Formats: sequence, C-alpha cells, structure tokens
Amino acid sequence: MAAKPEMVAVTAARARRRPAGGPGDAVFHGLTMFFAVLVLLILGGVIASLVSGALPALRQFGFGFIVNGAWNPVTENFGALAPIYGTLVTSLIAMLIGIPVAFGVALFITELCPKWLKRPLGTMIELLAAIPSIIYGIWGLFVLAPFIQEYVEPALIATFGRIPGLGILFAGPPLGIGVLTAGFILAIMVLPFIAAVMRDVFETVPPMLKESAYGLGAITAEIVWRVVLPYARVGVVGGILLGLGRALGETMAVTFVIGNSHHIHASILQPGTTISAALANEFTEAVSDLYQSSLIALGFILFVITFIVLAAAKLMLLRLQKGAGATA
Amino acid sequence: MQLYTSRRLSNYLIVALSLGATAFGLLFLVFVLGTLLVNGVGALSPTLFTQTTPPPGSAGGLMNAIFGSLAMTVIATLVGTPTGILAGTFLAEYAHNSRLGEVVRFVNDILLSAPSIIIGLFVYSILVVPMGHFSAWAGAVALAIIMIPVIVRTTEDMLSLVPNELREAAAALGAPKWKIVVTVTYRSAVQGMLTGVLLAVARISGETAPLLFTALNNQFFSSDLNRPMANLPVVIFQFAMSPYADWQALAWAGALLITAAILVLNIGARLFASWSGLEK
Amino acid sequence: MSASLATTTPPRSDTPTLPGESATVSPFPVKVQIRNVGFHYGKFQALKNVSLPLYDRHVTAFIGPSGCGKSTLLRILNRIYELYPNQTASGEVLVDGIDILAPGLDLNLVRSKIGMVFQKPTPFPMSIHDNIAFGIKLYERLPKSELDDRVEQALRRAALWDEVKDKLRQSGLGLSGGQQQRLCIARAIAVEPEILLLDEPASALDPISTQRIEELIAELKSDYCIAIVTHNMQQAARSSDYTAFMYLGELVEFDETERIFTHPREKRTEDYITGRFG
Repeated sequence: MAAKPEMVAVTAARARRRPAGGPGDAVFHGLTMFFAVLVLLILGGVIASLVSGALPALRQFGFGFIVNGAWNPVTENFGALAPIYGTLVTSLIAMLIGIPVAFGVALFITELCPKWLKRPLGTMIELLAAIPSIIYGIWGLFVLAPFIQEYVEPALIATFGRIPGLGILFAGPPLGIGVLTAGFILAIMVLPFIAAVMRDVFETVPPMLKESAYGLGAITAEIVWRVVLPYARVGVVGGILLGLGRALGETMAVTFVIGNSHHIHASILQPGTTISAALANEFTEAVSDLYQSSLIALGFILFVITFIVLAAAKLMLLRLQKGAGATA
Repeated sequence: MQLYTSRRLSNYLIVALSLGATAFGLLFLVFVLGTLLVNGVGALSPTLFTQTTPPPGSAGGLMNAIFGSLAMTVIATLVGTPTGILAGTFLAEYAHNSRLGEVVRFVNDILLSAPSIIIGLFVYSILVVPMGHFSAWAGAVALAIIMIPVIVRTTEDMLSLVPNELREAAAALGAPKWKIVVTVTYRSAVQGMLTGVLLAVARISGETAPLLFTALNNQFFSSDLNRPMANLPVVIFQFAMSPYADWQALAWAGALLITAAILVLNIGARLFASWSGLEK
Repeated sequence: MSASLATTTPPRSDTPTLPGESATVSPFPVKVQIRNVGFHYGKFQALKNVSLPLYDRHVTAFIGPSGCGKSTLLRILNRIYELYPNQTASGEVLVDGIDILAPGLDLNLVRSKIGMVFQKPTPFPMSIHDNIAFGIKLYERLPKSELDDRVEQALRRAALWDEVKDKLRQSGLGLSGGQQQRLCIARAIAVEPEILLLDEPASALDPISTQRIEELIAELKSDYCIAIVTHNMQQAARSSDYTAFMYLGELVEFDETERIFTHPREKRTEDYITGRFG
C-alpha cells in the first residue's frame, strides 16, 4: 500500500520529536511540597514563639499561674484565673444560646422551608459570619449594651435575682457591659458556623432513610429527632466544637463589651475579661518583660485550649465523613 | 388519636421554634447592618477619603487608614495567594495517600480557625521584635498567614472537583504531570480558585487583632512599609472606645466602609461562582 | 484445527503461537505483542496471563461482559494506570519489539506513540484550536502557520474541520457530544501516534454520532493500529478485523472477527455472542 501524501509528512514529524519530560516534574513537585510544609512550619512557629515568650512568666509563677486570680502590673503579680474564667464563661453562654438557635436555623433551612427560600436564607445566615468581629464590637458597645442595660438586665434581676442560689448569677447593678453581653454577642457570631455544619450534616443523611420514615407516617420533627440526629450525631458534635473553638478565640467583639476587669464574679451581669480581650487591651502597654511574658503565657493557654477543641472537632467531622462513606 | 394529636402539636411547636430561631438570626443581621447604616451614613463625606485621621476635637477623615488597609491587603494577597494555591495543589495532586498530606490538611484546618490574635503574637515575635519596631510589613505578613489556610482549603476542594478523565486525557497525550496541573487542571478550576481568593480577601478585610501588635497604627499618612501604618480596623478600635463624639462618628463611618467592602466581596464571589456555573 | 480452517488459512508464520492466539497471519506485521500480561488492583487480580497480537493497519475489538478486564487491558497499553497508586501490571507488551512495560523508558515518549480516546469526551477547557495544539506543542516547536496547518490537518482527518473551521477560537466545551468526541480523536491523532486505543468511544453518544465515529474508525485504520473496547457486539462485528473475547480477566478467544461471530471455538464465546449472558 503506497503511503498517503499526508502520512509522509506525518512520518517525518515523528522523527523530529523531542522528549516532553525534563526537570519540570521534580521542580513542581518540590515547589508544591515546600509550600505545604510551610503551613506546618507556621503552626510550629506559632507554638514555638508562644512557648518561648511565655517561659519567663511560667518559670516565675509555675503552675500557680493558672489558679492565681490576681492581676497587678504594679506588684507584678499576674494570674491567669480571671481571663480563663471569663473566656470559659462567655463561651459557655455563647454555646447555651447559640446551639439551640443554630439547630433551629439548620432544621428550618434543610427540612422546613420552601425550596425557593433555601438559598437566600442560607446566604443571609452566612453573611452573619462574614461580618467582622470589630463591627459586632462597636454595635455591641453602642447599641446592644445600652439595650441590655435598659431592659434585659433589670428583667433578669427582677425575675431570677430573687431565686436563692440561682440569684447570685444575676446579681449586681445593670451595667450593660459584662459577661452576659459578651456571651450574647459571641452567640450571634458563632451561630452561623454551627448552623452551617449542622446543615451539611443534615443534608448528608440519605434521603432513603428519611423517606422510609415518612412512609411509616412519621412527622418531620420526629424524623429529625429519631432519624437524622442519631445518624449525624458525630457531625453535630463536631460542628458544636467548631463553634466553641471560634467563640474561645474571639477578640474584638468581646473586648468592646466585656468591661475589662480582672475580677471573677459569680454574677454574669458583672464585667470581667477574657484572654483575648486582655491581650488586645494590654499587650502594647505592657512595659515590663514579666508583664509581657504573662500576657504571652495567657495566649499560650488560649492556644492550647482552642487547639484541643478544634482538633476534637476535626476528628469528629472526619469520622462523620468516613461513616457516611461506609454506609452509603 | 390522642397520641397522634400530641405528636402533631409537638411538631407544630418545633416548626414554630425553628422558624423563631431563623427569625432571630435574621433579626440580628438586619439589626447590625441597620445600625451600621444609620450611624455610618451620617458620617460619610468626601473628606473621609481626602483627610487623615485627626486628633480629638478637630475635623478629619480616614484617608491614611484606608490607604494602609488597602496597601496591607494587597501585599498580603500577593504573598498569601501563591503560597495557598501551591500548598493546596500539593494536597490535591500529590498527596492522595500520603501521611504528609493528612498532617498538612489537619494543621491547615487548625490554623483556619485559630484565634487571629495568636497569629498577631506570632508575627510580633518573629518580625516586630527583631526589627525593633512595628511595621506595615509585619501587618501584611500577619494578614497573609490568616489568608493562607482559607486559600489552601478552597484550592484543594476546587482542584479535587476536576474530573480525573481530564487528567488522564492530558497524560495519554504524553504531557508531564506539572504541565497537566498547570495548563489543564488549573484552567478547569480557575473560577473556583478565584472565588476562594476573593473570600479570603473578604476575611482579612475586617481583621483587627492581628494588626494590633504588628502594624499598630499611625496618626499620619505614611507609605513607608517599614513603619507603623494606619489601618481601618485599629482606627475604629481606638476611636470607638474613646469618649470623643467626632472620633466615634469616624469610627462608624470606617465600620460602614469595611462592612460594605466585605459584603461586596462576599456577594460578588457568590455571584461569580454561580454565574460561572459552579454552584449546583 | 478443523478441516475448513486448514483449507482456507495461509501458511503459518514463524512467530510462536501462545494460548488464545490465532494461527492466522495478516499481510501487515504485528504492531503490538501482548505477552503473559497480568494486572492487580491492590490485592485483586484483574487480568490473568493475557497474550495476543495487535496487527498494524487493522482494528482489533475487545468484547466481553462488564468487569472482564477489557478496559483494564487497554489502559495497560499506554501505562495510563500508573497515574494511580496500588495498580500494577506484569508481563510484557512489545511495541515494535520494545517492551514498553520495562522500567527506565521515557513514559511520555511512549505515550506519544500511543493515542487514547476515552468513553466520556474530555475536551480541555480551552479553545478548539488550543485543544489540538496542546499535544503538538508538547513535542514540537512550530511556527504559528505550521501549527495552524497541523491543527487543520488533524481536524480534517477526524471529519470535524467543516463543522468547526469558523469557530476555532471558541471553547471546546461548547460542542455537542459527538463533536467533542471527534475533537478528542483529532487531538489524539494530532501528535501522530502509531497506535490508537479507543475505550468505548461511542457509548456515551447518540446513534448518529456513533455511526460517524465508526465511519471515522474505518477511515483511520489504514494508517494506524487500532484497538477498540466495546460492549456493543454489533459495533465490534461491523468495525473490526480481529476480535478478542474476554471473561473474568482472561482472554477466552482471539480470532478474525468474522470467525468469532460465525464459528466461535469456545462455548463461553458462543454463549456471550448469542446473548445467554452479558
């Protein structure tokens, strides 16, 4: 068979061919790996710098630092108890308010609202997460705190303040500024994160499961309670922990409304401080080395707490993904 | 029948409660944005962009702060975007079954949600202390570190969405791996990756805490990256906490500007994503 | 050998026949000799001891029920399985006498000789022109006019030129399914391979596009050695010269297409062809 005219050119072209390889692959692989490792180095650097910065204070105070309620820059007696307490309590309030609301939002968006509303609603809730902390801060200071001082706190004092035992939680003059307000703002700030994770989790439930329940005559709420939740339990907990991690580390919103007082009060209507608020307020003013080191030590403690919470959240969410894959 | 009725009732209750919860969330969104608008609009004027931050009691604007925020955001984006994209590429293209990949992903997610004030402390100790002074460089680096995990995540997610058949088709032609990634895979995912960058920029636009110990603030206009630089978030912090009414007004105006920028970026990113056919 | 075969087959060649290999000879040489090839997905053995020749300028079809290993075998021929971990091949695949499974070969150069078209059309997210140019630019540095000529050549040979000549700068993703697949074929032949591997190229297409692809294959076969995997037996019967029937990872029978479909030697082949299973 005589060669076709175009195939003559083709054969010549084949002979001209040069190899396509070269060092490109190794270089690119190395480059991407370098930057991936850089991420690890950043975390390592954060830990290292926190530890080295906190060391003087930890050496000076030892483990007593954590349980010391004093904070006196003059006598250089620093203790982490008040900030830690404030961090934990404000986050707890944020969780108590935020979790049920986030659950309600996620439930509404995934199961109850009409199809056309899902996207816009979801976007609007996500916008809550996009608003930066400082905006919540000034809104909280100028709008929410006065409102709480005017209406909410007197009502709380009037009702709960009377109850023995529980009353100490709601004692004191209504200041507006304080632990409760900070916790409330945190709740609004973490609400979208928890709701987003819960939404994802609810949506991974195989429709088959829900459909068979509907087929048996179950009502929506029951389905969520008995079918969706148990299936998605691990994911829901992961989402909650994610929200908690955020609440623990929030700085600016809390700084504006917490009152910045290194005292521990039983009443949530009183001012307090959190680790991040203390850092934000005092770090640039910290004149002595020990003062600065104590603040860094606070930062280190915050980092450890959030690391543990976020790692736990991640592990749970990973397990949910694997579980979903296994049962799918 | 009674059981059924009580079940129905509790169902209605739960529906009502979740509706209430959603309304609660939306209420606060409207509340916050509303007060921002009301208080901020009053202080808006062209002088915001032409005059620098004043001492208390005199008129002024936010020009140096706006410039500073823009400058540091641009630098942070220039530093953080390639880093994030390349690291995300490693995770998506080279790290399928590798231990390193799992660890990097894990660490990345921790950094994603870590308190930004801690990042500020970190950059303080590695840049500000050795340099002996606060600087815009340090501020930009802190912002970059906050952007990187976001971009890593979105890049990895977007690259993973590119179907394997496309890679196989390029490989079957004899293309080396790096060329496949750069000319085929990136091009397939470019819209998603861009959206990720936009969202990361939106995220850092409002960050205050990391700038507190790095770029600090500057009363005057400065374009010297080696010196403290004014920026909107820290100015807002300082002015809002002060007792001066004119400072507070400027703080609201600044807050409105930041929020407007963030909303535009966010909504813009979403529109871009759905317009380019990404969202299903 | 049955009496009818003895009177019609030409004299045997010198190449030793392996199990499953036909004793018939074609006027064209063996382009690819597959010898004792095995394949593992992790621990699972997907191919066992497969041996057969692929003749140059002929079409060899691979048929068999789902999971029989025909696509797996095809993907060994250009080592595309190496993109994934835990997939290993054993045995030899001799292309023009050189074992391409041997380590140390420039894999990209190997792949430039062997083109592949996949089941799902995979146009790159670029213009039609750039899709075709992509492969060419991997190997040759050509001036623009020559590159444009090569692109046109490839599109003509794939019977796509007339439909896209006015929209070369438009995205390849805007074409119809059948057009996209012909684009992929054009892209594959633009790098001037010697062998074409087609993995169910028409199964995602409508009947009219399928027919055009089949016509294209008939034209292309005079210049390439073509191997096609198909689950459509009629297509195999229509388009191929040789057919290999595979089942559960083994080559059950390999022969001239006409013989396989009229007088299969193995019962399993006959059962599959007559539709008793599949």
